[in-house]
Amino acid sequence: MSPFDDKRGYLVKLNKMFHPQSVAVVGASENPGKLGFHVMKSLMRGGFCGRTFPINPKASSIWNLPAYASIRDIPDEIDLAVIVVPAQAVTPVLKDCHNKGVQGVVLISAGFSEIPDPMGAALQAQIRQLADQWTLPIIGPNTFGFVNLRGTVNASFTPEFSRMPTGGVSLVSQSGGFCHLAGFRAIAENVGFSKVIGLGNRCNMDFADMVSYLADDPETNVMALYIEGMEEPRRLVEVARTLDGNKPILAYKAGRGPSADSASKFHTGSLAGRFEIYQGAFRQGGILDVADSEELLDTAKAVDCLAPLTGNTIAVLSSQAGPGMIACDACYLHSLQLAMFSSTTQERINQLLPALAVRDNPVDMGPAWYNPDAIMGIMEAVIDDPNVAGVLFLAMYASANVALAGRMREYFEQRQPLKKPMIACFSAPPPIWAADQEAMDRRKGLVFLPTPERTARAMGNLWRLHNVLA
Amino acid sequence: MSRPGKSIERSLMSMDALIFLQGQGLPILRTMFAGQMSEALHAARKIGFPVVLKISSPHIVHKTDVNGVLLDLRNELEVQQGFERLHDGVAALRPDAMLEGVVVQEMGRGTEIIIGALRDPQFGPCLMVGLGGIFVEVMRDVAFRVVPIERKDARQMITELKGFPILGGARGRETSVEAIESLLVQVSSLVNTFPEIAEMDLNPVFVNAAGCWLCDARIMTAD
Repeated sequence: MSPFDDKRGYLVKLNKMFHPQSVAVVGASENPGKLGFHVMKSLMRGGFCGRTFPINPKASSIWNLPAYASIRDIPDEIDLAVIVVPAQAVTPVLKDCHNKGVQGVVLISAGFSEIPDPMGAALQAQIRQLADQWTLPIIGPNTFGFVNLRGTVNASFTPEFSRMPTGGVSLVSQSGGFCHLAGFRAIAENVGFSKVIGLGNRCNMDFADMVSYLADDPETNVMALYIEGMEEPRRLVEVARTLDGNKPILAYKAGRGPSADSASKFHTGSLAGRFEIYQGAFRQGGILDVADSEELLDTAKAVDCLAPLTGNTIAVLSSQAGPGMIACDACYLHSLQLAMFSSTTQERINQLLPALAVRDNPVDMGPAWYNPDAIMGIMEAVIDDPNVAGVLFLAMYASANVALAGRMREYFEQRQPLKKPMIACFSAPPPIWAADQEAMDRRKGLVFLPTPERTARAMGNLWRLHNVLA
Repeated sequence: MSRPGKSIERSLMSMDALIFLQGQGLPILRTMFAGQMSEALHAARKIGFPVVLKISSPHIVHKTDVNGVLLDLRNELEVQQGFERLHDGVAALRPDAMLEGVVVQEMGRGTEIIIGALRDPQFGPCLMVGLGGIFVEVMRDVAFRVVPIERKDARQMITELKGFPILGGARGRETSVEAIESLLVQVSSLVNTFPEIAEMDLNPVFVNAAGCWLCDARIMTAD
């Protein structure tokens, strides 16, 4: 029986395991050469406020906490068990978890269906049968775990995930490596996360189950999926379709090259890319597919923090002509149009900007370098224009325009949140403008991305999302 | 989609596939088999000129590779000469092949598209649409969906083709996008009705302002 058939039972348990009051670490260790050490470090240093119970029959205390020989010996109830013992020892531990009433398990241990030895797959089939019988959600095996930044629990073997910015993006990944790639890029680029979940071998918790759970998770605004391959991809599409666009889903599907293609045959034997089927199925499910990890993060950040884009007419405001041109090219590439300003807007801009440069869209604000108030006035005129559905704001630092970022920060601190999406790009020698950018980024309906091209691509994806969900 | 008393028991090529699909309510170009020249002339008169002649042999899959197709024959004389030319030419190139006769078909007009169905090991039954010829073969300009599809899915499949402007009336061509949508929905339910269909090619399908018509087809069963 698939978990989706009995989703109620699983969803309640998943909610408890992602917000645990108590966590047992089976295979906890004080030896940095063991993953059990790093899992303990993640819990102890990651701000977890519940109780942690190390399980290790060979120790009396671990990380200054009393160690237990078995999960059975713990006096309290246990919401989440993180298991890091060798594969052969896992089954009896799972039985203990079931008897103890554990709500959910993160099975970090490797040595299951991912190994060439068929014993691994047999062992995984065995634990899957038990887990289904007990309605016990198991994330893994062969996973790095998960981190819930909103619930402040790091149930993974990488403590530094706790440094990720907190927000509304939840990443569900088939690869732990991808979580490490995206997680640390998210720190560098200020993408706010709710949950990062490594599905590993997907014992009985697959993408469809996580999407069902996150759809009702008030801490998640947008789901980002990294998919390599699935046994039952239709389940994901069907679950996504039932959401009916209530919570956006982005997907990055790997394995799209000719080598992945050769497995399937159609017509001349070279046509049917399985990836092409995924693309079509994603569209049927209202899932937005993206082409790379950068696009996944940029789009997730924009969807998480910005108002929806309800039209494809964009205003491009640039403090220099070149980056504005680049953004216009990228807009064209991503099916966005340059908005025709209303006469009111054009008059306001003409009052603020000397006739030394292009004053209609894209607006070259170069002549206003020394006058950040004029730049804010132009920006506000464009935001207020009903013909403008979204705004790209580009500013490259020059010594003469140094005051811009601080003035813009003041403006945003005082104004109401934007009702239409605005994506900004600053380029400046660190640390100039950095603090002001950080203060504005992801607040009041504004996000920053590193290049003009990426601002346009993210805006284009807001428009694709609008169409996918239409 | 009506299902006759029995299932599809073997793969169906060209004429057999077209007859089956016509029975399922799919639009087909008028097509007749002719074993002899007199039958070909009769068929051409009945269908109306211009017509197309195609060699019919169980041993020849790719008819164009052996010059086995003659287009746009406008009168009885051209059909008569064409029948001989086709027969002698193919016999010379493929002496091993048994030649049954020719298929006489109404000349298709409009833009060529291709519709396919397959069973993906992971997704199960899927549907594909693409523009014909080099668009599919070279550009890989195709769109897939999993079966069943709704009319909205069919419309999205067509509009997301890079070559959609060609269907949408570029260069003075006019095509009925609604007719393609209907055909895609019909094929989707056909694939659901007959699970024994492992793979199906409708290639080409002619589309013009009045509708769309299957020109050739093949249906592969599971074994």
